[in-house]
Amino acid sequence: MAQTRSGSKLLWDVISYAVLVLLALVCVFPIIWTFLTSIKVEEDIVTREMVYFPTRFTFDWYVRLWSQSGYPVLVMNSLMVTSLTVLICLLTGTIASYAFSRFHFPGRTQLMLGYLVVRMFPAVLMIIPLFIVMRQVGLLDSTHGLAIAYTSFLLPLFVWMLKGFFDAAPKELESAARIDGSTRLGAMFRIVIPIARNGLVATCVFVAIAAWNEYLFALMLTTSQGSRTWPVGLQLMVGEFQLPWGMLAAGGMISILPVIVLFAIVQRVMVAGITAGAVKG
Amino acid sequence: MSRAAYPPPRTIWDGINPIRMIGELSETRYWMYLLLLPSAMLITAVVLYPTVYGMQMSFREMRLNRPDLGTDWVLFKHYARMLADPIFWTSLRNTAVWVTSSIALEFLIGLIAALALNRNLPGTKLLAVLILLPYFLPNVVAGHMWALMLDPRMGVINDLLVKTGLLVGYKAWFADPATAMAAAIIVETWHSFPFFTLLIMAGLKGIPADLYKAADIDGAGALAQLRLITLPMLKTIIAAAVILRVIGLVNSPDLLLILTSGGPGRSTQVLSLYAFQMAYKDFNFGYAGALSVVMFVLLMLFAWAYIRLSKVNQD
Repeated sequence: MAQTRSGSKLLWDVISYAVLVLLALVCVFPIIWTFLTSIKVEEDIVTREMVYFPTRFTFDWYVRLWSQSGYPVLVMNSLMVTSLTVLICLLTGTIASYAFSRFHFPGRTQLMLGYLVVRMFPAVLMIIPLFIVMRQVGLLDSTHGLAIAYTSFLLPLFVWMLKGFFDAAPKELESAARIDGSTRLGAMFRIVIPIARNGLVATCVFVAIAAWNEYLFALMLTTSQGSRTWPVGLQLMVGEFQLPWGMLAAGGMISILPVIVLFAIVQRVMVAGITAGAVKG
Repeated sequence: MSRAAYPPPRTIWDGINPIRMIGELSETRYWMYLLLLPSAMLITAVVLYPTVYGMQMSFREMRLNRPDLGTDWVLFKHYARMLADPIFWTSLRNTAVWVTSSIALEFLIGLIAALALNRNLPGTKLLAVLILLPYFLPNVVAGHMWALMLDPRMGVINDLLVKTGLLVGYKAWFADPATAMAAAIIVETWHSFPFFTLLIMAGLKGIPADLYKAADIDGAGALAQLRLITLPMLKTIIAAAVILRVIGLVNSPDLLLILTSGGPGRSTQVLSLYAFQMAYKDFNFGYAGALSVVMFVLLMLFAWAYIRLSKVNQD
């Protein structure tokens, strides 16, 4: 009996490893393939017989993309929009999240649900009026306007995720500070926010990745090179002048590199935060 | 003794010191509302106002490229047009296929990955990072990576399938109406199944180990444990994950916009994509608004029915 049990455990261990390795390969293969394509020469990409490993390495695609296509401008615009989005969320969302985590007041549940329900609104339903309003106030086709539009779906996410981290921070230290004469304001900035520091960073990274990746709002709300972000720019290049695969692959690699690096650094805390918010929500 | 000097006596400077003033404000009973005010104002401005505006827009004539038509109220004209619009019905059907197939695949693969990762075998921490990664990659790049791999002339997937004998010749996956939707669903599944893995992993941590020990003693096998313990205990989190994913799948046309733009023909045309193209290409904001309102109502109905059903099952 004991033998079959340990035997079946071993069997399941083997199956688990097999499944996980296979899934990890499937998950990473497109990235590896794109990277390989980005360092192949044209003759190795467009061939009669598939070339799996490049016969010659080249960084030509990267150089051409960076120097000829205006990609640096797109990346700068994206950086600008991403930082502004994070800044707005940080300034308005941190205190809101703190209020939801620490206080019980009339209307709290309804308001929190409201922050959740806004995610149900179809993007298109918001994009069209945003387009009209932003055109009226002169924010259309500007990085500021786009960042404000991003807060529509990222601020609620930010508040919910950060609340999970605030909830996890012990309340005793805060009470101790209050007994010592600190105001609520002082306790928030000197005690609670420093304790939840890692969570705050992870939440910001999550919002930053989402803003960096966003495509639909950017497509509708930016119209010129001056404010266009990289996803829209890359997509337009594909449509306009039959972008060679090598250059497209290079653009993809440049754009996902910051995402991969940030994700690798904060993934453990970020994963905990996403799940904490979802479990309670 | 030391408490006598604390808090320090007020000076003139304290009267105008902003930090001190906010500090005193934080002791009032309105403090939490003040903390919520900036974000609530922002959300009202960029979510609620546009949504209400969008809804009333669906009852008006609003074509940006036809200013001569004006912006009069047209009541249910757009909704009536929708009922008679064959593209609307095709999009609705495609949306149903797109959402249910993607959800089913993402849930199944997400569950398997979560169960395997939850065994905490040595070395699987790194595999977890790799498995979760696709979820954080941009749609635009995910779309082009797969377009490159599925390319009819130089796609590596075609090559692998031909070499293993599963396919006779290279296939243009996105150009054939019979395979375009399936190919798009595979890309979508690759991109989003980690979301289920993430949530289910969190749920698995909350199941007491005693339950499995008791089942072991009773001689229940692994599959029986999955059916009788794991899945029932995960019910709430699965319901939450499904609703969030359905919202995402119904609302965002990004991936299909990049992969197929709804083609070939109308084989991958979904509602969100139709609404977006109606706004972005035709500038018919009224009709686009009406399509979005219908999407929103369908989503609300779905969420309501789904929550009701999963609650009924619990009793």
